[in-house]
Amino acid sequence: MTWVLAIAVMIGSSPASAELLIRITEGADSAIPVAVVPFSESGAMPSGDKISSIVQDDLTMTGEFRPLPAEKMLSLPAKGDDVYFRDWRMLGQRYVLVGQLTRKGDKVEARYELFDVNREQRIMGATASSSVNSTRTLAHHISDRVYEAITGVPGAFSTKLAYVTLERSGDEPLYRLQVSDVDGKRARVRLESDEPILSPAWSPDARKLAYVSFETGKPAIYIHELSTGNRTRVADYRGLNSAPAWSEDGRSLLVTLSKDGNAEIYKLDIESGSLKRLTNHWAIDTEPTWDHTGDGFYFTSDRSGGPQIYHKASEEAEPRRITFGSRYNARPRPDNDGKYVYYVHQRDKSFHIARTNLKTEEETVLTRTDSDESPSVAPNGRMLIYATKQGGNSVLTVIAADGGAAYSLPASKGDVREPAWSPIVR
Amino acid sequence: MRGHERDVISTGQPPWKSPVALSILMHGLVLGVALAGWSWSVPKDDPQPPSISARLVTQNEPEPSPVTEPVDQPDRDEERRQEEQEKQRQEEAERRKAEEEERARQEARRIQQEKEREQERQRQEEEAQRKREQQRKAEEEAARQKAEAEAKERERQKAEEEKRRQEEAARKAAEEKRRAEEQRKQEEAERKAREERERLEAERKRKERERRLQEQQLEALADEAQQQREADERKRREAAAAKAREAQMLSESQKYQALIRERLSQAWYPPSSATEEMTARLQITLLPTGELASVKLVSSSGNTAFDNSALGAVKSLNRYPIPDDRDTFESYFRQFTIEFNPRRLR
Repeated sequence: MTWVLAIAVMIGSSPASAELLIRITEGADSAIPVAVVPFSESGAMPSGDKISSIVQDDLTMTGEFRPLPAEKMLSLPAKGDDVYFRDWRMLGQRYVLVGQLTRKGDKVEARYELFDVNREQRIMGATASSSVNSTRTLAHHISDRVYEAITGVPGAFSTKLAYVTLERSGDEPLYRLQVSDVDGKRARVRLESDEPILSPAWSPDARKLAYVSFETGKPAIYIHELSTGNRTRVADYRGLNSAPAWSEDGRSLLVTLSKDGNAEIYKLDIESGSLKRLTNHWAIDTEPTWDHTGDGFYFTSDRSGGPQIYHKASEEAEPRRITFGSRYNARPRPDNDGKYVYYVHQRDKSFHIARTNLKTEEETVLTRTDSDESPSVAPNGRMLIYATKQGGNSVLTVIAADGGAAYSLPASKGDVREPAWSPIVR
Repeated sequence: MRGHERDVISTGQPPWKSPVALSILMHGLVLGVALAGWSWSVPKDDPQPPSISARLVTQNEPEPSPVTEPVDQPDRDEERRQEEQEKQRQEEAERRKAEEEERARQEARRIQQEKEREQERQRQEEEAQRKREQQRKAEEEAARQKAEAEAKERERQKAEEEKRRQEEAARKAAEEKRRAEEQRKQEEAERKAREERERLEAERKRKERERRLQEQQLEALADEAQQQREADERKRREAAAAKAREAQMLSESQKYQALIRERLSQAWYPPSSATEEMTARLQITLLPTGELASVKLVSSSGNTAFDNSALGAVKSLNRYPIPDDRDTFESYFRQFTIEFNPRRLR
């Protein structure tokens, strides 16, 4: 038996050892061609955007896909049996998504299938449903599934954005804390104030927001439960109370307080309200955020003269400076796998979003706009949202995390600032 | 005036030889002799006679006449007698002396009268002579003046003639000069034109030469370039041939490997989940037409999306670039392995 196996191995391997090997180390530099075929519909469908077009927009937004316009399609199959790979291949498509929508009572059910044109295989098929009123949720869900099936990375289309808008009626400023879909749709106001609202931060379960509000005339940190609207003031110390960041377990916040003199970073236990001071320096230390391990954290400090980004590998470790590329680097936001940290980067009087590869320490400026602030990374690490100036107003822009495509969220009245991308909740 | 002077000179005599002068001299001499023995008082206040002879008299003033001195008287008696005698003698002497003096005076007067007559005659003669002379002179003068006038006229005519002649000559000269100038100018212009023509011609010839030279050079360059090109081409062909032979002989497959690598790189969309650590190996089998016969994932990356992206890329090629040479195809491309391993991710 061993012999036979050995011979088999020899037979199998001897030609293989002489066999030609071609290494492919570079891929195409363009977006993946994908065809999202308009879904067939049976029964009364709600008005508004079609599910398939929402999916198409979602995929486009990432910068990784190049959907085929429907008018260029040779056929509009709704199920796998009707997909002729030869046609799609001729159109240069890599993937084809088909689907059928059926009205079932007050629900809409979607059966959808994803095909790999070259491999001539169905790589995914599923059914999902939503209430008639929330077909957007259904669409984003399908987008997530398609995205993951193709890229191997979870989609972030069902996540939410929190941000603060500022409108002025006369001299009265009106601050609104809002939450919307990632495409800016279905925005809902969660808090209104004529005093500033800053730094919204999502809890790990995406049910709560922590933020700074000046509603009492001075800054204080609040936790806001979205489903109920319940609010708790968790930090209201003398001086500065700012920049809350949730811990991975959702039990504590990193906050910046100046109660002991100058701005320092503390860990605040939400339940007990107890504080642990994590930095101690005569310079300003602020804008803390946990790293992907949950043990260490990044923060901004001007201990070297101007604002720069530092990292503490643990609560006790010595801070290590991360950024050196210019005299102003602030508001760090790490991705979820510890590969990059994103931040506001000043270069030649312009403010851009840049990222540093934590392994190679290579810095890349990602944005071409020039008054950029408040970066927030999508939970899958593939997209980035930030605020920038457009025609005098502050707007939100989504870009691919490598700086590729850019996608401006639909304009809304007044200024839009301080975006925060919610986590993915499974 | 000058004519007059010239006239005096033209008489041909020095002034002292003229008759006037001679007569003056003679009168002077006679007068001098007369006065020598003669007491003569000349009225000082006499107006000077206007005549030339009177003027000459004053010029030859006579010696002053001698004055007789009185003598002292002797003893009375004797003296008286003596005196008487003496007185008689003296009286006698004086009487004789007076008689003699009277005779002398008469004689002198006679001589004087004679002389004066003679002088008058001589004067008249001289006057006539002078008048004749004057007449002659006037005539001479008139003749001279006439001659002079004539001469002047002739002179004038001559001068005019001369002037005309000169003017004519000048005109002619000017004309001549002008003509000469024109001639010269014309010649100059012709010379210049000729020179210009010659220069242009020379220039043209020079340019022509240069052009020819340039053309020759260009031709030479072109030839050279052509030769160079041909040499290069030959070299390139030789190199290509060598390369081809080499590729053919040593590894024709490499060319096709490069082609396949390029085609697959263009067809591969590494998924966003791809990392540089991921490697997927696929074994593919081709038909002799280059079409994909089969593909097998022999080594997974561990990431389904990544594996699928590799499979999709391999399957997306309708026809693989393969060598025409059947042996090369059979030995290398009938079956081979492709490894997907991203080195540079977006």
